[in-house]
Amino acid sequence: MSERDTLGGPINPSDPADAVLIGALDGLRVPELPSDFADRVMLRASDRAAPLPHLRKTVRGPVWRSARRAALGLGAFGALATAAAATGLLDDLPIELPSAQQVWSTLTGRETADAAAVPPATGSGSDPAMAPTVNEPVVIEGPIDTPEELEEAFSRIDRVRDNRKATRRGRVDRQIDNVLERRREQGLPVPNAEQEERLKQALDNSRTRRDERVGERIEQRRDGLRERIEQGEELLPGEIIREEQRGAGNPRMRERIERLRDLPPAQRRGRLRQFRERRQQRREERLDQEPQQGEGATGEAVEADPPAEQPVPVAPEQAVPSPELDPPEVKPVLK
Amino acid sequence: MPNAGAPDSDRLKDEAALVARLAAREEAALREAIEQYASQLHRIAYRMMGDPHEAEDIAQETMLRLWDHAPRLIAKNSDASLRLAAWLKRVAINLSYDRLRIRQRISAGEVPERVDEAALADARIEADEAKQRARNLVAALPERQRAAIVLTYYEEMPNSEAAAVLDMHLKAFESLLHRARAALRKAVAEAERSMLDQGGEV
Repeated sequence: MSERDTLGGPINPSDPADAVLIGALDGLRVPELPSDFADRVMLRASDRAAPLPHLRKTVRGPVWRSARRAALGLGAFGALATAAAATGLLDDLPIELPSAQQVWSTLTGRETADAAAVPPATGSGSDPAMAPTVNEPVVIEGPIDTPEELEEAFSRIDRVRDNRKATRRGRVDRQIDNVLERRREQGLPVPNAEQEERLKQALDNSRTRRDERVGERIEQRRDGLRERIEQGEELLPGEIIREEQRGAGNPRMRERIERLRDLPPAQRRGRLRQFRERRQQRREERLDQEPQQGEGATGEAVEADPPAEQPVPVAPEQAVPSPELDPPEVKPVLK
Repeated sequence: MPNAGAPDSDRLKDEAALVARLAAREEAALREAIEQYASQLHRIAYRMMGDPHEAEDIAQETMLRLWDHAPRLIAKNSDASLRLAAWLKRVAINLSYDRLRIRQRISAGEVPERVDEAALADARIEADEAKQRARNLVAALPERQRAAIVLTYYEEMPNSEAAAVLDMHLKAFESLLHRARAALRKAVAEAERSMLDQGGEV
């Protein structure tokens, strides 16, 4: 046994070496507790305030438990929101909820598809009240096989065409007014009130005659379509649209455009430039002559060649639709 | 101790029942606990502190801590694993540590013994001298070594129980106890040499 083990070993009463140590340790005798010790403790205990209640445990736990609570909360919120939406509660509240398309348009900066969306004209059972009333292209879905469906498609096309025609004519009228105003500001000769009234009347007559001609052509085409329906034939949307476009277009102008398309590009540009120069020259001559015609001027010349509505033969890549003769955009959408 | 000879499981049940009554603020239970544990706590505190008044204060404060903390003890040891005797000894030891540290901060030197001016018989003088030597011997130990000697030598506790009271692993406690005994033997040997040098006896 090493010296360290000897020194730190258990205290052995039978070992003479430990007798002195034991004698020394046993000399530490403990006095007795006072007899009134218990009473004093009881007195102090009675004076002691009651212990405070336990603090409520903070909600701490494993991460999975918190995640489960969060998932349950989200699920409950989603269920409530869905129920509120399904019962129409959100409609009763003064809350504007943007649609997903609106949110997407704010993010991308593009217009929503709603602006370009067109209520489709179905082949059967369509509601006239739902028909487009603005300048929106008519969409015909599916084949048409009954006279009612065909007439409904015609009425929609007519409504769109009338709206578009009114819009374009209003724009032409404003352009004429602007030109006259500009000439007045520049001190150039302008027609007096009577002349202006006569010019406008001539323009209206020209428009009426053009509408009658176009209407007759369209009606002829439509009669052909009606006959096919009566014979039990089905009409595809493309056929109706094609016939409408042919009826509304000017055959002579169409032939000229076709001829221009067949020309080489350099020659086509030259022909177009010559046409614009001639047209501009005619306009200037006419404006110079009109104020000088006075009371004796007739409206026939103006009527025969309305300044702002003269169809312009242009190249296909530069084609700007003629305001009056351009048929309504009719986009077939097949089911 | 009344229940010293009872089987361990019965003793634990008795302790748990006593703490439950204390938690219910039953004063009779506190008096019963004082009767069972106060004298042992007083002994431990006295041998740790070497002062009867401080020992009595520590014993009293330990019993009051039991009175205050009984509900919490029940809540934390609902599985009947509460060892009340060990808990009380640990509280008494810790209170002794606190007072020893306060004492060291207040006065680094030895507290002078009060001079007893009464006429004393030789036997009492010898007893007081032996008591003083033992007190000095124990007081010379560091506080943890002192606690280890108090619990194992004076209270005759097994090393495992003493280690539990001091909240130590058994191996660490045995090492501590080993150092404590070595320090005691060394101190006794030095005292013997000193007395021989002076021509007296230990």
